[in-house]
Amino acid sequence: MEHHASYLAKWLTELFHLTRYQWEGFGILQEEGHSVHEYFSVLERYDHLLNASLAVLVTLIIATWVRTRMTKIPNPLQQVFEMVISGLDDMVKASIAHHAERYLPFVGTIALFVFFNNLFGITPGLSPATSNWNVTLGAALAVFCYYNFHGMKEKGFWSYWGHFAGPVAFLIPLMFPLEILGLLSRNLSHSLRLFGNIAGEHLVAGIFFGILPLFLPIPMLFLGLFFGLIQTFVFTVLSIIYLSGAVAHDH
Amino acid sequence: MKKFFTTALLFTVSVTLFGMEDAAPAVSKSLFEGQFLAHLSLAIAAVGCGLAQGKAVAAACEGIARNPQAAGEIRTTMIIGLALIEALVIYALVAAFAIK
Repeated sequence: MEHHASYLAKWLTELFHLTRYQWEGFGILQEEGHSVHEYFSVLERYDHLLNASLAVLVTLIIATWVRTRMTKIPNPLQQVFEMVISGLDDMVKASIAHHAERYLPFVGTIALFVFFNNLFGITPGLSPATSNWNVTLGAALAVFCYYNFHGMKEKGFWSYWGHFAGPVAFLIPLMFPLEILGLLSRNLSHSLRLFGNIAGEHLVAGIFFGILPLFLPIPMLFLGLFFGLIQTFVFTVLSIIYLSGAVAHDH
Repeated sequence: MKKFFTTALLFTVSVTLFGMEDAAPAVSKSLFEGQFLAHLSLAIAAVGCGLAQGKAVAAACEGIARNPQAAGEIRTTMIIGLALIEALVIYALVAAFAIK
């Protein structure tokens, strides 16, 4: 899969007369042994970072705007945010028994980050940062570190890792490696699901644009909005499930 | 019905095999290395995913029809399940991207 920079990156490159360097091909999806050399500027090569930063910036601006204008009679945007936050709160409290409110900020941040990045897939001129595996793997690893840290904090180091050893002593050599492998491969499925969905959706939308750019892509754009929402939901729910599995006390 | 599907599958595969052989005689690349198998694997994965998701949604609809009050929870669980099923096809898609 060759790299297509977003129009924003191309436009900024032209605007600031950035030099295009010859970069080697892109990431894990490049064919092995046949490195393709293409000319990219820094912005075009690190397009996903540009778009992710932009998503963070947009989120911050909207959140700050809502936060500073918070009133008792909410304006429409505040209502939307209240709905989102209370929905996330319900989701966290439904799965985690103790101190659920402690985990809400992190889960909410991940959800908003993924959602705004997914929305960039249907914004003209931008490309979703989540259609790059590096970004989704970063998000998945952040979730991984977070729930392991809080699992160890809640239960203690030995108690937490002891859970992976299984109930019977003589099964430890069998159970422990398997459980650790399962724990690590969670990252892979967690990140690849989001990446594959968004990248595939973006690719199909691009092909539809290629066929007929006038009205044909409209259903794909609606589908992109829907999928973006669903994938955000799934990513968030899976993060909460992993988190609740890590911090749950058995009593 | 099974016989029909088997015949159709055999027909498609044979036509593709012989057709490809005619279309590209000079290329030394074999049919079974490269994108053909990646696309075929994606198609096979999509068949399984379609059947599984249909079954899941049918069961969820039945559950909601029998007990409409539980619609919210059933829907949430169904969406998570659908995403987990869909992930398998996504792996095939990623593999199809990765193979050139």
